[in-house]
This record gives sequence, C-alpha cells and structure tokens, in this order.
Amino acid sequence: MEPYSNSSSEEFELDPVFLNSRREACVIFGVWFLCMIWAVPVSYMMGYGREIVPGNVPTVFGMPTWIFWGIVCPWLVADVITTWLCFRFIKNDDLGVAPEELAQAGDAGNETATDESVAKEGV
Amino acid sequence: MSHLFILAEGSNAALITFTIYTLAVFGIAALSNRLLKSKSFMSEYFLGSRGLGVWAFALTFAATSSSGGSFTGFPAKIYTHGWVLALWIGSYMVVPICTMGLIGKRLNQVARASGAITIPDVLRDRFNSARFGLLTVVLIVFFMSFNLVAQFKAGALILKVLLNDVEIFKSFSLSVAEWTSGVGFFGSDSQYLVCLLFFGVAVIAYTTYGGFHAVVWTDVMQGVVMVVGVLILLPLAINAVGGLDRATQEMSKMTPPMRGYGVVQLDDSTSEIAQLDKEDWLKMSDGDSMRVFRVASSKTIEPGTSMVYGVELLEITTPSEVERILAGETPSEFVDGATVTRFSDPDARYGKAVLPAGKDKGALEPYTNIPIDGDEDQRVITTVTRVVFPIDDMVTIPIEIRPSRLTTEPLSEARAVVNVSTKSVKYASGADTPGVYVSGPGPSATDSVGFLSLSVAISFFFMWAISGSGQPSNMVRLMAFKDAMTLRRAIFTVALYYTCIYVPLVFIFCCARVLVPGMEAEPDRIMPEIAVYLTSGIGAAWLGGLLIAAPFAAVMSTVDSFLLMISSAMVRDIYQRNINPNASEGTIKKLSYLCTLIVGSAAMIVAINPPDFLQDIIVYVGSGLAACFLAPVVFLLYWPRSNVHGSVIGMLAGFSAHFSMYATGAFVNDSFFRPYRLLDFDPIIIGLFVSFTVTYLATLATPAPSQELVRKYFYRKVKADSQA
Repeated sequence: MEPYSNSSSEEFELDPVFLNSRREACVIFGVWFLCMIWAVPVSYMMGYGREIVPGNVPTVFGMPTWIFWGIVCPWLVADVITTWLCFRFIKNDDLGVAPEELAQAGDAGNETATDESVAKEGV
Repeated sequence: MSHLFILAEGSNAALITFTIYTLAVFGIAALSNRLLKSKSFMSEYFLGSRGLGVWAFALTFAATSSSGGSFTGFPAKIYTHGWVLALWIGSYMVVPICTMGLIGKRLNQVARASGAITIPDVLRDRFNSARFGLLTVVLIVFFMSFNLVAQFKAGALILKVLLNDVEIFKSFSLSVAEWTSGVGFFGSDSQYLVCLLFFGVAVIAYTTYGGFHAVVWTDVMQGVVMVVGVLILLPLAINAVGGLDRATQEMSKMTPPMRGYGVVQLDDSTSEIAQLDKEDWLKMSDGDSMRVFRVASSKTIEPGTSMVYGVELLEITTPSEVERILAGETPSEFVDGATVTRFSDPDARYGKAVLPAGKDKGALEPYTNIPIDGDEDQRVITTVTRVVFPIDDMVTIPIEIRPSRLTTEPLSEARAVVNVSTKSVKYASGADTPGVYVSGPGPSATDSVGFLSLSVAISFFFMWAISGSGQPSNMVRLMAFKDAMTLRRAIFTVALYYTCIYVPLVFIFCCARVLVPGMEAEPDRIMPEIAVYLTSGIGAAWLGGLLIAAPFAAVMSTVDSFLLMISSAMVRDIYQRNINPNASEGTIKKLSYLCTLIVGSAAMIVAINPPDFLQDIIVYVGSGLAACFLAPVVFLLYWPRSNVHGSVIGMLAGFSAHFSMYATGAFVNDSFFRPYRLLDFDPIIIGLFVSFTVTYLATLATPAPSQELVRKYFYRKVKADSQA
C-alpha cells in the first residue's frame, strides 16, 4: 500500500476493503476455474461416447459413475471450499455508512461523512 | 379413475395453497408498508434500507435467481434428456460463491460510499457521469421489459398447469370466454387470461404496496417452500422407484419416443368421446405385440365420426416401459373404445404447412399427396387430415414429408403448399439407442449432435456462475445486505441451499422418468404430475398442493424483483436524478407507487398476447444483461484506472457482440432465437469476451479518471497515529 499526498498535504493509502475484495475475487475466480476443469473434462471422459450395456450401468450410490466423480464429488468439494472461504478467508471488513443511514441516525450536514466513514478505524 | 380422482384432489389442494399464498403475501406487504413510514422512503422502498440480515439476504438472492425455470423448465429438461442435466446445471456448485463473492462486498461498499440505491446510480456516481447513468437505465428498461412480459406469461402458464383440473377454475374460465368472445385482443385461451389476471393483480398489488421488503420477505417464504418441497419429494421418489440404482438401470434401457401423426379408430361412431385430450393413452395392435401411444395435442372429434385423422401422437419405444404401462404399473389409463390404426413412418418428417387461398371451394381427403410450391425437387408432402379449401384465406395444415420410396400415389393438382415447417419423427440424436439417458451428450429431438456437446457444457459453466454475477437484479441485492459478516454467512447458506435443491432435483426427475412415462408431450407438467403421484401414495394430497405451488412461488419471486427494478430505474434514475433532484419525499412516494403500478399493469396487458419463445427471451435477456454490465462493473470496482469512456464503449461493444450473434442467427438459422454459435460457443461467451477486452483496451486508450474520483473509491485517509 503506497501512501500518497494530495495538494492539501493529506496522506492517503489504498483502501484495505478494495485490496481484500480484489484478493478474494481472484481466489474465487480460481475456484470457479478449478471446478470447471474438474467437472467438464471428467464428465466428458467418463460419460461421453461410452458403450452402454442396458441394465448394467456402473453406478456409485445409484447414480452413473461419471455423475458421481464428475459432478457430485466436485460439488461437495466446492461446498467445503465455499465454507472455508466464508468463515476463514473472506475478511470481515467494515463497509462504511451510507449518507441516508447517517441522516437516519440524526447526523446532519455530513457532506464529508462518506470519506470519514471509509477512513474509520478497522476499514 | 382413481388416478383422475387423485389429480382432482391434488388440484384442489393447489387451489387452497394458492389462496393461502396470496393471503400471506398480502399480509407481508402490509407489514412492509408499515416499515416505509418509519424510514427514508426511497432507500427503504427500493433497497430495504441496506439492512438485510443473513436469512433474508440469502433467501431473497436464492429465490430470485431460481426463477420459475428451476421448477418447470429444469425438471422438464431432466425428464427429456436424462442424467446429463447434472452436468448442464453443474456450475451451480460455485454459483453462490461466484455471484455473491466476486463483487458483493466491494459493490456494497461503493454503493454506500456514494449513497447509490440502484445500479445506474452506482455507475453514474462512480464515474460522475449523468449520461452514463442514463445509458444504463435505457439498457435495463429495454431488457427488463421484455423479461417482465415473459415472466408474466410464465407465471400465468404455471398457474394454469396447477389449476388445470379444478372445477371452479374451469367453470369461471368458461364464463370469461363468453364475456370476451368476439374481442380478438383477449385471445382464445380464457384459462390463460384468468390465470394472468390473478397472477398479475396479486404480484402488482403486493409489490406496489410493500416495496423491497415485501419482495424480500415473500422471497424468504417462497424460498423455504421450495427447499422443503424438494427435500420431501426426494425420499418419496427414490422409495417409489425402488432405489436410485434401479432408476438408473431402467433409464439405461430407454430409447427416446417417436412423435408424429396417427389415425384413431373409434369402436362406435356414436360414442360419447367428443375429444381426445392431450396425454390420453391409446393402443395399437401390431401382430402379436401391442404398441403404446400418448396423445400429444388435443383433437376434437366431429359427431358421427368413426375415424379421426391427423392426431398428433407420441409413441413409447422402450419395450420394458411398454410392458410396465400395459401391466398397469404406471399411472396410465387407456381411452376405452379407441385404437390407433396408423402412425407415421419412422423415416418420415412431420409438421405443418400453409395452403394458400384459392378461388374455388373443395376439399382434399386425408393422406393426399401435395407438391411444395417452388421446390424444384418436388418433395412430396402429405396432408394427414381432410382439408376444406378456404375461398379467400390461407389455412395451416398438418403434414408429413415422406421419402419418395414410400409414396407412389400421384400428386394432387389442386395447389401447392408453402412455408413448410417439419421435424423428424425420430429424435435427431439418440433415437433407437439404449443408454442415451444415462450418458452424454443426451438425446435431442432437434439437434443432431445431442443435447449437451462439450462446447455447450463449457458455455453453461460460464452462463450460470459468471453471467449470473452480471445480472442487475442480483447486483441490487448485493447492495442491500447489512455488513460483511452477513455476506459471508449468506454465501454459505445459499451454497447449502443450492446443494439441497439442484442435486436432489436431478435425482427426483430421473426417478420421475421411470415412474411417469410419456410426459414428453408436455414435459413442463412433470413437476405437478410427480408431486401428486408421490404424495397420493402416502395419502397426503395437501402436501402435493404445497409442492406443486413451489414453481408458482419461484416465478412470483422473480417477477416482483424485476418489477421493482424497472420502476426504480424510472423514478430514481430518470426523475429524481435528472428531472427534479429536489422532489419532496411525498412526490417520490406517489411516483414510486404509480410507476410500479403502471409498469406492472402494462406488462400484464402486453402479456395477454405475449410473444412466443418464452424461454428463449429469458435466456436472451439474461445473457444480454451480463454482456452489457459485468465487465464495466468489475472494472469500476477493481481497477482504479477504469474510466467512463472505456466503460461506455465496452458496454456497447458487449451489447453489439451479443446482439449480432442473435441477429446472425436470424439469417443463418431462420430464427432470431436460434443464435449463431461462433466456434460452437454460446453468445454469452462471445459477448463477455468482447466486453472485457474492449473495456480494457478502450480504457487504456482514453484519459485517466480524475484523481478525486480515484481517491474517493480506492483510497482512505491515513490515520494520524499511523502517520506518527
């Protein structure tokens, strides 16, 4: 985070909410990509163009094998990763206060309220 | 008979459930309206005062995303194409984390920083450009208006399916038919009209009166109904079929049905049978064996007739399925006194053609051969019913195109048909092939490469997870949650919710394929059909009513959100921000009520004569919105260098690229709604690729944004103690 100054000699730094959100978005995009390169190729290789013997399809828990390994398995893994992301990885950032929320709380004349709220402790 | 009784009982339960629903949503709207009196009207009416907690946020997000399609179209697709639908819907494993996590936290923060209430608000304030705000309003109103009409139609159709066998509904519809007879605007389907009126009035009323909170709370109620319904159906379905493994093994023996025209002979021409109803069952003796058919389209029988020509039929082609139907192991009752004597040749095509107006009266007898006008090959077509020539009007006739080796009779000299439209009697992919329902790409009636090719599977992985992030209706909800903790818990909740909905739905409707055969004639009815079938087995028709109301709840929760989005775009983004920034809260309040009422009523009136291609419109709108909005929103949130020029150019480029795929489809595939697939990919992928690329390049090629804007949205003041 490189701080910089403006003409009034106030110092600014990159907003941690922005930095955290961007980092989280990159990881989430990676999870999506991982799930895609698991589900689609595995399903395609195990479930497409195979010789089927009617009445004798290999199954796992009653579903065709390729559905289990290509969809259900990554789905469960995705749920585990989602749980980890939600409770361990995504930061509990302060998202600030909207002008009408401040007005509701009785604060008047808060032209600079937004800046102040963004700069609050723990943002 | 017993099955008919069960159906009627289930339908009455649906009527009771619908009544309870309607009363409940009005109660919720009244409660929500009380909240409006205690808070800032605009923020409360359109955004719920940014105060949604975990359950409200999670379930409104999930319910809005799961439109009526999840409980009508999706089950119908599973039934029609088999296990491959698990791959089609597979990306829902990451939809919650993608659609809520990719932009949720940052979008909420940016909206709070500027006080934005709508998506155009966010775009306008982030770049300080009123024109950009107006452009986004135009795009949202353009897309959403189409979608609103389509969703109204979907709601009315679902309600019609639910109330199909309710006597009060039938008699009231007949009365409406008498009142509206002679008024062409109201169309010929009075049942649809009645359902549209009920559905429309209910949704418009509670949305107008209650605003965002009414929408959210009804979403919560509807979301709970949906998941409870699915979780009850799952064990019932698996138990009824004798285990999931048995369902899979039975499906592996199945071959797709054939569809075409047949001739039905009645035992007695004075029989009381006045109509062959859609989904009636018929037999045909074929030597030592018996063939089984289901009526695919209702056919009226003229008095004194003993042969009924041109009956559209569906033939069950799986031997084990035919055996079970004939043995009475499925809910199939055959029509007494009627048998099929002739059915389309498997190599033929069937469909419709136009017989142009002529100057003379006359008639063509059934199975007369007619040439095609202007066709040098002189392909032979055959009318399958008796056709009376009109004098000054055209008539659409049912036809078969038969291979020349099957037609030795001479051609009629009377006249030639035009505008021929036909489909193969057999499925284009998977016909006569056991195993297609348990493997990829799945059978398809129209596509010779099958239902889900590899490139289409990849496209759908993009479609649900990535383009879902670009839906303004989802984005608005991301601006409404209370804090980051709410977001984190809600993502987890929605992930569990989708796991409990979509995976079980695949299991349930694979079982349904075995339990209730022959639904290809009207696959959208499979949800109510299986709900009634399964719950009647345990003597709980009320439960069937609750379950078959789930799709109604789903489409309701989608319509109310879209309705509010359009009215917020008009009141907030056009009137308050561009015409009268100093409007009093009273004026805004009246305008908001009025606008929601007018927009809803207008959509309902247009939906009286809705466009065809319902599902296609929904897909076009969803993918079009993502192609327009996702790239600019992602860049404005995460790239300090992004500017208004790059965003506008990227947005228009995404719109154009996506639209051009559809426009090209109109020329190449003869239909706007059969888009051209560049490299076999769906238009959404082309639209997103163009939109992201152009936004990036155009941003770099145009001036950087002002330092003030960058500082406002990407920096914070360094605290005094940290400077020290």
